[in-house]
Amino acid sequence: MIRKLLLWLLFLLLLGGCQDRIELEQQSYVITIGIDATDQKGIYALTYQFANPEVGYSASSSADEPPSEIVTVNGSDLLSATYFANSIVSKQITLDHTRVIVVSEEVARSDNFLRIIQSASRTPEIRRKVEIIVSKEKASDFITNNKPLMETRPHKYYQSMLSRAIQTGIIPKATIHQFFQITEGDADLFLGIYATTDQSDNKDDEMEEDQYIAGEIPQKGGPPTQFMGAAVFKEGKMIDILDGEETRIAQILNTTLDMDSFITTIPDPLMPEYNITYHYSQTEEPAIDIQYNKDKPTIIDVKVKFKAEIVAIPSLIDYTQKADDRRTLENAIVKRVKKKTEDLIEKSQKVYRSDPFYWSLFIRKHFKDIPSYEEADWQNNIYPNANINVEYEIDKLEFGKMINDTNLNEVRD
Amino acid sequence: MRQFKKSKDQEKKIKINKSLSKNIDEMKETFSYGLNKDFCMRTLEVKFSEYNACLFYYGSIVDGERINTHIIKPLLEQTGDKLSNIVTIENLEEVTDLEKAIQNVNSGKAILFIDNDEIAYAMDVAKFEYRAVSKAENESVIKGPQDAFTESLNANISLIRKQLHNHQLVNEAVQVGERSVNEVNILYIKDMVKDDLLSNLRERLENISIDSIRNIEVLEQHLEERPYSLIPTILYTERPDKATAFLEDGYIILLMNTSSACLIVPVTFWSFYHSPEDRYLRFLYGNFSRAIRLLCFYLTTMISATYVAIANFHSEMIPPDLLLAITASRERIPFPLVFEVLIMEIAFELIREAGVRIPNPLGPTIGIVGALILGQAAVEANIISPIIVIVAALSGLSSFGIPDLSMNFTVRILRFIFILAAASFGMLGLIGALILFFMYVVSIRSYGVPFFSPVAPNFKSSKDTVFRKVLKKEYFRPGFLDLKDSTKRNK
Amino acid sequence: MQNRGYLRVREIVAMILIIVGIKLSDSTPALLTQNVQNALWLVPMISCVCIFPSFLLMLYLLKKYKDKNLVQLLEEILGTVIGKIIGFIIFLFAFLSIALDSRNYVEQIKILYYPEGPSGLIFLVLFGVVFFGAKKGFEVIGFSSFIALPFIKVSAFFIVFLVLGNLLVQRIFPIFGSGLSDILIEGAAKASIFAELFFILIAYVSTRETDIFYKGSILAAIISLFEIVIFYFIYITVFDYNSVEKIAFPFHDITQFVSFGKFFSNIETIFMVFWLIAAFLKFMILIYLATWIFGAVFNIEDFEPLLLPFTFLIATLGTLPFNSIINELQFRNYLLNAMTPFLILLPVLLWLVALLRGGLRK
Repeated sequence: MIRKLLLWLLFLLLLGGCQDRIELEQQSYVITIGIDATDQKGIYALTYQFANPEVGYSASSSADEPPSEIVTVNGSDLLSATYFANSIVSKQITLDHTRVIVVSEEVARSDNFLRIIQSASRTPEIRRKVEIIVSKEKASDFITNNKPLMETRPHKYYQSMLSRAIQTGIIPKATIHQFFQITEGDADLFLGIYATTDQSDNKDDEMEEDQYIAGEIPQKGGPPTQFMGAAVFKEGKMIDILDGEETRIAQILNTTLDMDSFITTIPDPLMPEYNITYHYSQTEEPAIDIQYNKDKPTIIDVKVKFKAEIVAIPSLIDYTQKADDRRTLENAIVKRVKKKTEDLIEKSQKVYRSDPFYWSLFIRKHFKDIPSYEEADWQNNIYPNANINVEYEIDKLEFGKMINDTNLNEVRD
Repeated sequence: MRQFKKSKDQEKKIKINKSLSKNIDEMKETFSYGLNKDFCMRTLEVKFSEYNACLFYYGSIVDGERINTHIIKPLLEQTGDKLSNIVTIENLEEVTDLEKAIQNVNSGKAILFIDNDEIAYAMDVAKFEYRAVSKAENESVIKGPQDAFTESLNANISLIRKQLHNHQLVNEAVQVGERSVNEVNILYIKDMVKDDLLSNLRERLENISIDSIRNIEVLEQHLEERPYSLIPTILYTERPDKATAFLEDGYIILLMNTSSACLIVPVTFWSFYHSPEDRYLRFLYGNFSRAIRLLCFYLTTMISATYVAIANFHSEMIPPDLLLAITASRERIPFPLVFEVLIMEIAFELIREAGVRIPNPLGPTIGIVGALILGQAAVEANIISPIIVIVAALSGLSSFGIPDLSMNFTVRILRFIFILAAASFGMLGLIGALILFFMYVVSIRSYGVPFFSPVAPNFKSSKDTVFRKVLKKEYFRPGFLDLKDSTKRNK
Repeated sequence: MQNRGYLRVREIVAMILIIVGIKLSDSTPALLTQNVQNALWLVPMISCVCIFPSFLLMLYLLKKYKDKNLVQLLEEILGTVIGKIIGFIIFLFAFLSIALDSRNYVEQIKILYYPEGPSGLIFLVLFGVVFFGAKKGFEVIGFSSFIALPFIKVSAFFIVFLVLGNLLVQRIFPIFGSGLSDILIEGAAKASIFAELFFILIAYVSTRETDIFYKGSILAAIISLFEIVIFYFIYITVFDYNSVEKIAFPFHDITQFVSFGKFFSNIETIFMVFWLIAAFLKFMILIYLATWIFGAVFNIEDFEPLLLPFTFLIATLGTLPFNSIINELQFRNYLLNAMTPFLILLPVLLWLVALLRGGLRK
């Protein structure tokens, strides 16, 4: 009797369990979510980019299908709009595989950005690893125009594009996780990824490398999308854009962001019409030493050690052999990078009145408890008034695998 | 040989008569002489006492040559004072009651009645036909002895004694069955094995009340405690070296004349998990193959279920590229994923069952049908997706990594239970089913020995469980057997 | 009782490690952090300091009065009636903690992995499994815990390993969170997060090795404290103090956050498997212990048939229609606060009575 009853129970369980079961092909996988403003307050135009599973699958005949499908609907938050989107999309919408959230600059600069992005943390579907991209144009345009040629599948594209660009430091790593930690911590500035597909008209070929922001980089051929620079968020609201070089410096000084290395140029100190290219790599985290003074301005000492490897010397000056010249070169590199850093720090103190370097972490140990820490007010009081000394030091200057460059005069002979 | 007889009070024992002719009549009637073609009777006059004598035997199960040269010839020609000094047969037994005499004839002995004698003489001239000792086919190893048990008790015991030279190795016979009385031989090392265990086993053997137990395979089911259980509690092996290894550790072996295998009691999970080759291979190689086997256990029970659970409930876990590939391949499949998995698993079981039953000359067809129709054609016809073929093949292939047939069935049945559990509740159902099954396994006992000993509960042992130690570092015999001598070697 | 005397202290240790250690993964941290902010990781240490002397005293008493379990000890020292009353109070505490926890765990499973299914069904599956498992007896639960423990702990270690790159150690500063007095009060008030240590004392005589029982349980308590502290440390260094108090299930947020290389980015289901095993075992152990205490109080030798009604009752209490936040932040908070003085003072009381009655001179 009991056995039979149990069997029935088991059978019921088997039937009942079906509610969460969903077949793979009954779901559409969102890779990108775009957020745009609408005329109505509290309603946003949300763009979902779905991966098309048929593309890249060898046995399928539908080779002509586009690699993704893009749908824009209105909704008040990320999740509820997916139900609305089902009036267009035939399958259940799954956000588990979302890679990036694209926010138009317009929304990012509005007060409401925090409200809409908040819903992302409540649902377990959107992971904390999702990166935030701020697009210059409307997010829906960005997603639609972004048609990479090589990596046609969107998740692959974002994966390789972002990880490479982050490695080189021209954009910061900007996950939702970091966004919430920094915004909720209410002390520092969050750097989001800045990108666009909208090629700007005022392209300035004369600018130095890396001093661009997305859209300004002169480009011929290739897809229209450019990732460059960082969107500065203060208290959950975008306030400015950092160019590529500033973004790099912010990452050098920020111990929580890791950037591998990059290649950059400086004017040749001896022949300024030529540039010297060098490979910057950080050997260790910058040492940040904060002397907290309650009544006086706080003193922040920052020491950065780095390795520079000279890649190209078009002026053909023999830096490797001459110690004096080498020292000049070293000084030139340090001086330049220090100058840039001081500019950025000054800008952040005066204009942003907060730091994009997450230095509030280092002042915390001077307080015993959170109330006193919050009262001291890093963002409004300590940082903007602090005296900040940055020092760079070249740990090693290397010259690559060549000892000497080709002697131009001898060749011309 | 110690004989254990069943108490059969209802049959009164008929003593052997002094008169030969009465005995002859009794025997003739019992064995339906004349009708029963291979029952032979040979009367003769014994030279040493000059009495008439009569010899009974089954012509089909005795060695005629031996009867001739060792019994009849000496009886006719030799003189002497006692029969035992005349007959040159090695095993001569005196029998006083008729029932015993009948039994002896049945088991291939020649029975000699002599006039004026109340004793009959049973002489072992049995020659049952059996296969020669051949290679172990079902539990083959690469490195290690290749011989297997065959369907002969003497040959089997010889194979064991060959490896175990120990006077404490006792071969005890117990008779089972009521119509056809067969002998079950219990082998154990006397100064090691625990008496409780032995008497428990004897008791169980004596309590079997059934017409006949033909062979060890049937005996196994009469001896086990839980006939409905998914878990085997008696180990069955055709390898003498495996049996001997267990003997040496203090286990008990059961043999019968009719089976080319033996039973080993008691068992633990590890007995089913280990293969003798693990110990023949060097330490690292043996443990490597154990690791692979552990993977086999996991794959064969869980891979399909895990796949179902993940694909149906936790698709976020699959890396996007794979996810899209699976999704694309499933776009045109008309069935739910569980159904696909079940189709393939059942198809595999079909091939397997058919492969066992198929006559040898037709063997290759199985390969063609299996590989071609089920593998390729089903995928091309969009009935199943290619990844299912991989999953089912993996789980099917891994099931062959399990060295024991019974355990093999266990995991194969278990697989379906797990698939259903996973299909109903994803990982929650799967883990629930797994943990319940696991607790069930932990709770069962084989002849009083907990199934997961010596790990849980803990016992002193050589720690030969998932992995084995270096042979030189094995100091103890399994502690859960509670042996009289549990030290293998002193530290 | 299906006890054949095979149980050893190492199985008890495994069980303690599971029932106490799993506190790192439920919403206990969310409850604690409401008052102490980023000093979360200090709280268990303070709690442990508060409750450990009492626990040691209890072990000492059990050792003095040989071969008695918790309830028998109470009856021996305080007399049958008072002993039974106190035993029943302990039973109520155990029972209520399981009921509240049950809701909490079902919510975790439902919100994170089964958003569509009704929670009643998850209750049914969870407690169906728990019931059948508990039915197998204390020994089998112990053995299963012992075998499962390495897997559970390795998976936990794996999480720690994967999350290391995301730690920002500076986030533990300011070191005293919302203030030294706050964390001292909270630590003392929530000392009962180690209440399970007392519940398991009912099994004191189930092993043959009572002489090393105290060693094992102390070791287990210290290891679990260590684990809890490590994980709480991770929670506040991965999430800053402002975020961690908003997160109901930080453990699951961590498992969703970590990834194993670029290709296995969402691996929480792997950890969910081991977490589920631990959760199943936790409830089996606790329900069995609670029933055991009940059986001991009411002199029911064969208490295992009571498992079914108790499991049913717990599941019913758990499904009461309060939302999970109220359940966690209010009821559980009250219960923990109420249990603390009781568990801290009870052994002292027992010791005093025993001392006066001269029971310790034996």
